[in-house]
Amino acid sequence: MMADESALLLSLVEEFVSGLQDSKAKDTATAVKDGQFTVLQLVEALGLSLTSSQPHTRARGVQLLSEVLHECYGDLTEREVEVLISFYENRLKDHYVITPPVLQGLRALTKCNALPPGSAVSMLRSLFQDVHVQSLMLTERGCVYNMLINLMDTREAELKGLGADFVFGFVQSMDGERDPRNLLLAFQIAKNIIHRGYDLGKFTEELFEVTSCYFPIDFTPPPNDPHGITRDQLILMLRAVLTGTPKFAEFLLPLIIEKLDSDVQSAKQDSLQTLAACVSQYEHKDLAEFLEGLWTSLRREVFQTSSEKIESAGLAALTALTSCLSRSVLNSDSDDSLNTFLDLVLKDCKHHLCEPDLKLVWPSAKLLQAACSASNRASHIITAAVMPTLIEQYNNRAECSHRRTLLEVVQRFILSVKSSQSSESEESVLSAFRPSLCSMVFSALSESNANLQITATSALTSLSQQTGLLLDSDIELAVDHLTGLLLKEDDNSVSAAVVECAGALAQLHPTAFITKLIPELKKQMFSEPMEQDREASEQQSHHAMRQRCLSALAAVSTQPSVVQESTPVLLEVLSSAHTGSVSFSVEEVVLACCSLQRIAEQVKDTEETGRCFHDVIIPRLLSLALQAALQGDGSPGRRSPLVEEAVLSAMVRVISTSCSRLQPTMAGQTTSKAVSLFLDGDVSFLPDNSFPSNIQLLKKQQGDSWSQSQMVCLLMGCVCSLPRSVEVPQIDRLLSELEEMSYTCSHPLSYTSAAKCFAGLVNKRPQGDSLDSLIQRTMKRICSELDSTSSSVRYQAFTLMIWVAKALLLRYHPLFTALTDKLFSLLDDADLGPMAADSFSLLMSDSADILNRGCHADTRIMYRQRFFSENSAKLVQGFNAAPQEKKPNYLKALSNIVNKLPKQVQVTELPALLSLLLEALSCPDQGVQLSTLSCLEPVLIDPPPALIQQLEALVSRLLALTSSPAMDVRIVSLRCIHALSRFPVHEILPFRARVLRALARPLDDKKRMVRSEAVQARGEWFLIGSPGGR
Amino acid sequence: MSGGTRLENANPVIFQRSGERLLTAADEDEDVQDPIDDREIFDILSINDPEHPLSLEELNVVEQIRVKVNDAESSVGIEFTPTIPHCSMATLIGLSIKVKLLRSLPDRFKIDVHITPGTHASEEAVNKQLADKERVAAALENSSLLEVVNQCLTSRSI
Amino acid sequence: MKEALTLLHRLNGHPDSRCWFVSWSPTGTLLASCGGDKAVRIWGQEGDSWVCKSVLEDGHQRTVRKVAWSPCGNYLASASFDATTCIWKKKNDGFESLTVLEGHENEVKCVAWAPSGNLLATCSRDKSVWVWEVDEEDDYECVTVVNSHTQDVKHVVWHPTQELLASASYDNNICIYKEDDDDWECRATLQGHTSTVWSLAFDATGQRLASCSDDRTVKIWKEYPSESGNDLSWKCVCTLSGYHGRTVYDIVWCRLTGALATACGDDAVRVFKEDETADPDQPVFSLAAQATKAHNQDVNCVAWNPKEAGLLASCSDDGDIAIWRFEEED
Repeated sequence: MMADESALLLSLVEEFVSGLQDSKAKDTATAVKDGQFTVLQLVEALGLSLTSSQPHTRARGVQLLSEVLHECYGDLTEREVEVLISFYENRLKDHYVITPPVLQGLRALTKCNALPPGSAVSMLRSLFQDVHVQSLMLTERGCVYNMLINLMDTREAELKGLGADFVFGFVQSMDGERDPRNLLLAFQIAKNIIHRGYDLGKFTEELFEVTSCYFPIDFTPPPNDPHGITRDQLILMLRAVLTGTPKFAEFLLPLIIEKLDSDVQSAKQDSLQTLAACVSQYEHKDLAEFLEGLWTSLRREVFQTSSEKIESAGLAALTALTSCLSRSVLNSDSDDSLNTFLDLVLKDCKHHLCEPDLKLVWPSAKLLQAACSASNRASHIITAAVMPTLIEQYNNRAECSHRRTLLEVVQRFILSVKSSQSSESEESVLSAFRPSLCSMVFSALSESNANLQITATSALTSLSQQTGLLLDSDIELAVDHLTGLLLKEDDNSVSAAVVECAGALAQLHPTAFITKLIPELKKQMFSEPMEQDREASEQQSHHAMRQRCLSALAAVSTQPSVVQESTPVLLEVLSSAHTGSVSFSVEEVVLACCSLQRIAEQVKDTEETGRCFHDVIIPRLLSLALQAALQGDGSPGRRSPLVEEAVLSAMVRVISTSCSRLQPTMAGQTTSKAVSLFLDGDVSFLPDNSFPSNIQLLKKQQGDSWSQSQMVCLLMGCVCSLPRSVEVPQIDRLLSELEEMSYTCSHPLSYTSAAKCFAGLVNKRPQGDSLDSLIQRTMKRICSELDSTSSSVRYQAFTLMIWVAKALLLRYHPLFTALTDKLFSLLDDADLGPMAADSFSLLMSDSADILNRGCHADTRIMYRQRFFSENSAKLVQGFNAAPQEKKPNYLKALSNIVNKLPKQVQVTELPALLSLLLEALSCPDQGVQLSTLSCLEPVLIDPPPALIQQLEALVSRLLALTSSPAMDVRIVSLRCIHALSRFPVHEILPFRARVLRALARPLDDKKRMVRSEAVQARGEWFLIGSPGGR
Repeated sequence: MSGGTRLENANPVIFQRSGERLLTAADEDEDVQDPIDDREIFDILSINDPEHPLSLEELNVVEQIRVKVNDAESSVGIEFTPTIPHCSMATLIGLSIKVKLLRSLPDRFKIDVHITPGTHASEEAVNKQLADKERVAAALENSSLLEVVNQCLTSRSI
Repeated sequence: MKEALTLLHRLNGHPDSRCWFVSWSPTGTLLASCGGDKAVRIWGQEGDSWVCKSVLEDGHQRTVRKVAWSPCGNYLASASFDATTCIWKKKNDGFESLTVLEGHENEVKCVAWAPSGNLLATCSRDKSVWVWEVDEEDDYECVTVVNSHTQDVKHVVWHPTQELLASASYDNNICIYKEDDDDWECRATLQGHTSTVWSLAFDATGQRLASCSDDRTVKIWKEYPSESGNDLSWKCVCTLSGYHGRTVYDIVWCRLTGALATACGDDAVRVFKEDETADPDQPVFSLAAQATKAHNQDVNCVAWNPKEAGLLASCSDDGDIAIWRFEEED
């Protein structure tokens, strides 16, 4: 070392130690790192301070060294480390004020890679011997724990060499620790000891005691806790310690039994979860002597529970316990502890199953089911014991409610049965009971009690899902029952359950549905209502039967083989309706389309199903629609239901679902055919081809007839739902004809569909000049029509604008802003203003048929937030500048936008907009009121501070709205007032009397739905500030 | 009533809940006046039993057939049936029913709450207490009693 | 003869609460009211309207059930569910709390000043009736606790001229007390009502007592010379039934006109007149006027003005106070 460096070192030491300049530690460390001098030279330089008679000077000296080591422990050599360790070990025996910096230094050394062999052990021995950890300050205790953690990570073998002394040393160190931060570290060490296989020696109980004394964790972090330690972190870490080894079983299990007796709900829950966690590590012998005690506690928690959380934790623990016992290997000479335990459970629970009208039937059943679900063996034992009883009870009971309870219990047993995973061929646990279970379910299906029938359908579903349980003959019988119910049962809830059950069964057992159910449903659906003068109620029930059949056809069609049979039936409904050979109502035709769409949605995407939809169903739909359109809207006599807007919209959904999700290549072919049909009148691919040759579907029709022009919606269903990889042929021509059509038609469905189709295509066009110039051309024409107040096509231009705007907004196209500005300016338009305000809702919500993710639209995430953040200020300015009579348009636009924002965004944006929203609540327009209320309602659940500051204004306006002439406004305002009752009590208490008085009036509202909201809201407000309330 | 004490009737008979009232077209029609009817009052009475985490309906303490309302004459009569004839909670249950109705009905209504005849040992005494509005008023100024009543009226939290 | 009950004023006396009781000052110029809001209010006429002159708050922790003026008009006594009775003394324009009488175990239901002004009676749900003596230094001392009822005592009322006290109870009975050797004893128990007796009123002479009950009837009782011993003899000479649709909560006998007014749970105020030609042992009362919807809710109390004949105050669960004129036209 050069002289000046030596001088520098001495001066640094001097300034730090005597001058108390803390920053010099950093300077010293930098100098060491730069190689100006070594750590050992620093030790030498410290010589004087370290031998000072003043303990504080010695401490200061050590502190400098330790701080330097913290910066450069990585560069130390083994030799240096060795010297330093022995230096520090000596210092541990010094005055207590020196201990903190010594520990800091040792901690730095534990991070060294160059730690010489044996030094870890030596350090720890000195530490355990010379330091009483719990007499240290919080930070120093943390320092000790960190040393241990560091050494455990790098010197595991050495520490294990210490044997049980290490555990003992640690136990002594943490005994009495109270700080949550340090506890988390100490638990980490204990967890390492257990999980990494350290020798606990004779200190098992000590280690358990020193950690389990914190169980269950009772810690609430202080408000604004900067350390961010949560109760859950501590719970999970401690649980990992306590449940980590079967060696703790004999201590932990009695402790759990004791803590379960606590009145504190969280303690119970923690105990139950800890129990579930520990038994997964245990063997049956660890549990043996505690089984009775554990069972008594679990039973009590489930029988007398007041909280679902505790109940489900209890049941989960029972399952874990049973599954632990199930793992025991059976010796012929030893007791089977699983049997012994389940005997206990059965003894206490089984008899309650015979009392289906009493409260304990449910908790008993849940306990048994929890045990039953633990293992195949447990399932065998439990079902063998309870099933005969349940079946006998069911057969002996006459009352429907009792039978229903029993059947529901049985159903849950079926669900809880664990099929053995080892061998598929093994008989189902329930095989022995198959005949009785089937007859039970079938008899329940034939009852006249709706609840019983519904329960029976779930039981049937569960039975059918037990692999290999039901025979083919059982399935056929089940299908007969279901068919009969579909045809005759009028109760909506029962038929919905039957449809669902049929769907579940058909998934697993398609054959019986193909051979029996579909032909029978078809036969009945196509039967005509008998005479014309039949009673209306019978007409009604015939219609209801068809409805059920149609939705059942959809539900059962998940397997391709079933789809092959069911879709022709549905298509036949459409063609018969069109020709009038069988009379189907418009509603029934729509339902048939809905069923087709549902099938397209749920069926597996295979080539077979792709062909079915692209080669058969879509051409058939287009052909039928075209036939109907050509018959025209003006033709005398009967009009085909297939020209109705409701039917066409339903067809659009079938086509669009098929094109969006089934076989893209085939969808491409379908598109080509559809485009050439619409552009060129090419009908060659349509079945029943007897069409004229001069079809021009995209041209203005003679006499403004709309039956052909409206067919453009079917084109939209096809071309707008394709995956973006699929090319649309003749795109430019198509776009230009669609644009033209959207101006020339006066029929709203026709021009709107043309505009939507145009927009749907624009959304998927690749970025670039051609797209930009297309948009600019389009906008120019739109603006010129809109700007001319005498134009006859302003509505058409507006419609096109709003859909194009939506298409561009979704993909963040830069040209979108020009359209937004136009839209904002229209809020002041005398004619279009209200429409412009409403259109913000269209912009912000998901559209059902195009421009959604299902249709593969180009949609960026968070486009709504982006739109909002770019435009809210404009809206506020516009509002302030607008004349009084135009202000409602702005408020409506605002509430339409805010309404659709995700809640987190609403909450953050609310402060800025609150005064405007409150203004909107006072706006006389009921639409604005309603939309503002519905956007406030979710925000009120977790109110931002800005809202609380405006409570007075909010309460006044909401109370005023409870006497609105519009029922919906009264209802939502009451809901909002109800939500206010959950605000912090001290904020709302001043309003209590006023709210209660104001809510007396809606209690006598003429509408029941309003009264019911008022009753709930007032009930909650009464509880505010009242004992037992909140 | 705390967790540790013994229940009077640990395994009571339970009954099915009647399910949600179905909405009719008239319910949604702004112009139709919906009279306050028995079912509406019954629905208001979805009160918890002070002893069980079950509703009075599930315990059959209140039944729709024992609810009589006359909207035109502004009167409501309720008969409730304690789970056992010596149930010490009868007055408390009756009080909770009465309070719930007082808070939920327009104040033009006269509310009479009685025990179903023949179902409780101290039927008359309980009825007389529930009919005495001065005693009811005083009871509701007793904070520990009000606390229990409010707990019965707190919508069940899961 | 036509009679009518005309509404003169309606005051929202105790907003968001119920008004339990109203009482006229002896001069008939002020009206005191009390209610569930724990307050006593004093009302007076200013020009054409009635205004609240003062509010006596902070005297009670719970509902104030009844309020009574001392005969001199300088003191007010208020009885509360908080088990205390508060004595208020007139000072300048208002009243200040003078003393609080404690002793009842629970709700005090009624307080009444004897005509002399030297005695005060209170009753409570603790089944007892207490008599307090007042000295010149405004000190109150309990002189007697009588436990003649088996249930809570709803009402106490003094004889207009004698030191005779009557009480009504939840046990369906009425008791009459007299002082004997510095001790007050129950000297007669009037049985006849089949449910709680809510209120009592003596006529101007004190020879007759009217009672009203949860059994929806009003009874008139008359004193007869005692046949044996020193027990008093009171007999029911008339029962008015069929007029009241629900519990009759209050009854009051006008000392000026002899008209009898009732407050009923069916929201009505009724006035009955006696047929003066009838046999005094079988008096006949007939309904002279009624306001069927006098209030929106139960009527709790009626009070005749002591100086101005026909002026009647009533109050209700809806918190309102109404002032009526009962007029007889020839």
